[in-house]
Amino acid sequence: MSTSHIEIEDLISRIAMGDRTAFRTLYGRTSAKLFGVCLRVLDDRALAEEALQEAYAKIWTRAGQYRVNGYSPMTWLITLARNTAVDRRRARDAGGRRRTSPIDAADLIADPAPGAAQQAEARGEARALHLCMSELPPERAEMVRRAYLDGATYAELADATGTKLNTVRTWLRRSLMQLRECLSR
Amino acid sequence: MTGAADTDLPGGWEAAAAEYVLGLLAEDEVSAFERRLAQDRDLEQDVAAWQEYFATLTAPIEDVAAPPQVLRRLEAQLFGRARRSLVGQIMPYLLGAVTAGAIAWTVNVSGLLGFDDDPDLWADLETPSRGLVLLAHYAPSSQTFMVRRDAGDYPEGRSLEIWMIPEAGDTPVSIGLVAQDGLTEIPVSDEIAAQLPGAGIAISDEPEGGSPTGQATGPVISLGQMAPRDE
Repeated sequence: MSTSHIEIEDLISRIAMGDRTAFRTLYGRTSAKLFGVCLRVLDDRALAEEALQEAYAKIWTRAGQYRVNGYSPMTWLITLARNTAVDRRRARDAGGRRRTSPIDAADLIADPAPGAAQQAEARGEARALHLCMSELPPERAEMVRRAYLDGATYAELADATGTKLNTVRTWLRRSLMQLRECLSR
Repeated sequence: MTGAADTDLPGGWEAAAAEYVLGLLAEDEVSAFERRLAQDRDLEQDVAAWQEYFATLTAPIEDVAAPPQVLRRLEAQLFGRARRSLVGQIMPYLLGAVTAGAIAWTVNVSGLLGFDDDPDLWADLETPSRGLVLLAHYAPSSQTFMVRRDAGDYPEGRSLEIWMIPEAGDTPVSIGLVAQDGLTEIPVSDEIAAQLPGAGIAISDEPEGGSPTGQATGPVISLGQMAPRDE
């Protein structure tokens, strides 16, 4: 377990006790990562700032709910920020600003995957997911990526692939099971 | 039971766990899933594992320093305006009638109480044409950037924005706005704190509420450099 892993868990447990200094330290350590995530999801600085603020407000109030489960505490923080940003993106897009670019399998094959060097450095889970995603048909892997990183809904994925919603859902669930099978190998 | 674990959809609860983490379940499906989750440890582990795996999709995303106003708003939201550092508590008493000796006294008080060894930093920011005299002060012990207005009027209907220029030629980073009244106190992020020693500090005249673009749009009315003071 890395030092930063232990340090961040320690900070979260101090925040659960209402320690403001720990909160500011955690913010200093992690806000650039979480702001990057919010920007990635929302693609809008002002909304990303609001999402970041909301995410850290949740971190402050929910720190007591954090459970050490052997996984990275960064996952807890990233999940909170990502979900907050996705909720804001959906609220915004419900107002009609939806952008769904088509998913084109040919483009995806040409799209360079993260470099080999970067993959070699990546943590075990990242490497495993990358490997297992690469076993999926490229457009299915892209759907998973869009769902997580853009907060795309089934309706948007159906639009992007020109397919009926139920068909997309059946495809994606099969792919998720394939992914699960591969990841548990 | 609703769609999440429908028999005509492949994968059952296990696939639903991934959909849940991706945020693909409909609202009623989420409620049904969470009811199940509360009593199914295997499912709980599945959710935790999916969260861990999918969170790695963010690994290639570059870090982006959050603008300082986010931390300021966040702390105001969570802790209210009453948040005061020790130096912040002392500073208002020194307002208006401050001497170099009094400043040194503040520094010594901070030192005696065993705060970090990093020195406090100061910069004089004067605008003779406007009769404006500001003093910028950074206290590492509370990671707070302060600005005191010693002379001159706050421009009406405008805002004075504080910028940090880490090194000559760097893009200025906004620290926040000079308060219209009283002492300006701005908590700063670790990134900004680390760059403050020796950094240039500029004050620009901006539309009310601060620069709309994130970069200085109005004239820069004063410029100084953050440095420790002996006395």
